[in-house]
Amino acid sequence: MCFKNLPIEFDSQGKAQLKEGVSNPYTYQVKSLHAEEDQLRSLLAKNGHIKSVDFDPVTRVAGALAFHTVADLKEGKILSANSMATLFRGYEVILKGRDPRDAIFISSRACGVCGGVHATVAAEAMEMAFDIKPPPLGIVVRNMMLALEYLYDHPLHLFLLAGPDYSQAIVEQSNPEIMEKAWRTPAPGADIHGYANMGKLMEDMNPLTGSLYLEALHMTRVAREAYVLLGAKYPHPETIVPGGVSVTITLQTFNEVYARLTKFFDYSKKAAAIWDDLTEFFYDANPRYKEVGSRPMNIIDTGVWDDPYAYDASYKNCNEWGERRWATPGVIIQGDLVTTRLQDINIGVEEFVDHSFYEQWNSHRFKTDPSGNPLSPYHAWNKETIPKPQGQNWKERYTWDTAPRWDRISVEAGAYARLLITAMAKKLPHTRFIEATGTSLKIQLPRASKPALELEWHVPQVWNAFERNRARAYCIAYTAMVCMDNWQHGMDMLKSGETAVSTKFEIPKKGLHIGAGFWGAGRGFLTHHLVAENGVISNYQINTPSTINASPRDPFGTPGPYEQAVMNTPILERYSGPDDFKGIDVLRAIRSFDPCMPCTTHIHVDGSDRVVSREVNTCACGID
Amino acid sequence: MKVLIASVGYYNLRDLSLGPLMLPQLQKLDWPAHLEFDDFSFGPIAVMQRMQDRPGFFDRVVFLAGVGRGGREPGSIYCYRWKSASPSNEEVQQCVTEGVTGVVSLDNLLVIGEYFKVWPNEIVVIEVEPFSEEWGDDYSEPVQAAVPVLPGLVREAALGPLHRFHDSPFVATLLD
Repeated sequence: MCFKNLPIEFDSQGKAQLKEGVSNPYTYQVKSLHAEEDQLRSLLAKNGHIKSVDFDPVTRVAGALAFHTVADLKEGKILSANSMATLFRGYEVILKGRDPRDAIFISSRACGVCGGVHATVAAEAMEMAFDIKPPPLGIVVRNMMLALEYLYDHPLHLFLLAGPDYSQAIVEQSNPEIMEKAWRTPAPGADIHGYANMGKLMEDMNPLTGSLYLEALHMTRVAREAYVLLGAKYPHPETIVPGGVSVTITLQTFNEVYARLTKFFDYSKKAAAIWDDLTEFFYDANPRYKEVGSRPMNIIDTGVWDDPYAYDASYKNCNEWGERRWATPGVIIQGDLVTTRLQDINIGVEEFVDHSFYEQWNSHRFKTDPSGNPLSPYHAWNKETIPKPQGQNWKERYTWDTAPRWDRISVEAGAYARLLITAMAKKLPHTRFIEATGTSLKIQLPRASKPALELEWHVPQVWNAFERNRARAYCIAYTAMVCMDNWQHGMDMLKSGETAVSTKFEIPKKGLHIGAGFWGAGRGFLTHHLVAENGVISNYQINTPSTINASPRDPFGTPGPYEQAVMNTPILERYSGPDDFKGIDVLRAIRSFDPCMPCTTHIHVDGSDRVVSREVNTCACGID
Repeated sequence: MKVLIASVGYYNLRDLSLGPLMLPQLQKLDWPAHLEFDDFSFGPIAVMQRMQDRPGFFDRVVFLAGVGRGGREPGSIYCYRWKSASPSNEEVQQCVTEGVTGVVSLDNLLVIGEYFKVWPNEIVVIEVEPFSEEWGDDYSEPVQAAVPVLPGLVREAALGPLHRFHDSPFVATLLD
């Protein structure tokens, strides 16, 4: 029984059903935010040390994110936080009425990093809707492409976006006492990463000039090259199709990919050692760093990397093929793994717009999913995107993001969710390089320039900004070895003449077809829900990791993950007053999620269904 | 003298796609052998890394793009010799952040290339002020009217003396 809040129970066969005797099972009362906001205003008016601190825009994140906080600068506390997605994405509106295949190319533009992921999830939604099963090599190539896409994304987050928050250049200004300690503290991982002390390591984290920053920039190229060898183009491949990939794969292709993949073997050893050392150093310098970005361990992930012999694209079997993935799907609530079944994950997600710039839709078209499980009216297959631009009001509506919740609980998404859920579930069927122990993941990294190494990532006791980043660093090793495992499967297939990479299909011109793609972006959880009628899209809903993480308060008054994490963050930087307050701890909390917000500004013309693109660009993960 | 003519922009955004749409047309014309063409619309970091593979190879780069800066007559052509205004480290970082997360922008590309020292001394930019930034693979009327002027202008920027190109944008018709 995984649901505590939704009116869903399971029968003896494990089939979900609505609880008996509940008259309006999904109705809810919106908790007013007025009292909270009035109290804050009163505090602000009465206390000079309580200040509104705005981060607008939050820099070093993808796209447009603004953050409003009320901080008690005397007590070093954040009293309130509001996450604001300042731009409207609108892909759901754009896709309506189009050929379903357009979703691959158009939704890819939702992100300038994760374009391939969006394309793939769109293809998977079609595979489910139209019963298309890719051949094994097509699945393997898709797995490799997306692993390589993540290998572009992980170094970028660790050393270009979040990393500078831990660099000498930043820490020297915010906490000179810590930098002083860093120069005197030997680095435990020196044998692996090569830095004798923490000061030197943090110096190389400096943006633009630090060698770790520059190395990460280089590694994005290595990953991009490997991706392009398979997918021809990055970040918006045109080779993703329902039923596989539209590329010619040869032994030479695989060998060239391998030459690049091996560079990540050593790099992942180094990245893990660096983030282990940084995390432990900050904890040692001040144990309160464990509170920075902390929130309950409530995590959701769809899992990624399909088993080439298990994935059949069907909703009916998705619990089974989901659990065969290289990253196990699942939900963790308060540190406990409550499900690993994709259908439970799917039916448990609702999206609320009570504090967002959207109108509530009124229909409840799909009362059950294709397997007969109950579906909320707020579920993606029922949701409609009705933008309603209006002024910002903390008591009412303040963002273009929605509030996705699982079992009406504020959960977070991230690449690290793969590690957490896979480690805890112990269901990983592919154990050539990775072993899940229940409390850790053991990753066997082969010898490259550095000797072979077994990395072991442990499920942390606390969940905070540092653990997000540390886990992200281990994601490089995890991802590289998933790619390697798939590479070996692919080589075996090629050698045995199993060379088909796609399955022919036709889009049915008549009838109602629904499907969903359950996958993960570099930053975690990603779903596309498709409703196709008579050959065209009648509804399309995209739910991204930043939609989840950047969400506003839900109707029950619970803040979204960024908001929660910031409100739990102590202010540990040194400042003498509001003028020299930099908010580095708040920024560490936010950036640890790797926000990916919209760069595409699609302006909705009021009173029409016309959408005008004002600025071209690609990264719109966070916005509905 | 090695010269590169490079376009920057997104596809399917009408006037903002001018660079990538014009490039194949320009390539069809007769050019000296020392001239190369490339579409630099694949991200400024990747472009910078490609340029790093050929250090000092080009003596001059000519950029062609539809760039909306506002306050200019739609369809007007602006040419200038680009010189770095030495952006701050924070500005460069922001350009890198945008670059690695997918933003394709002429300004970002110029700043990033300058910071990583991949540009030759001679950089000429030819911009056309857009009228329409909506989706589509054609130009608006004002930009369409400007298109016939561009091949000659690009040729002059690529092969002619640089003294005719000022350091700040000026309307191209002044050249004649």
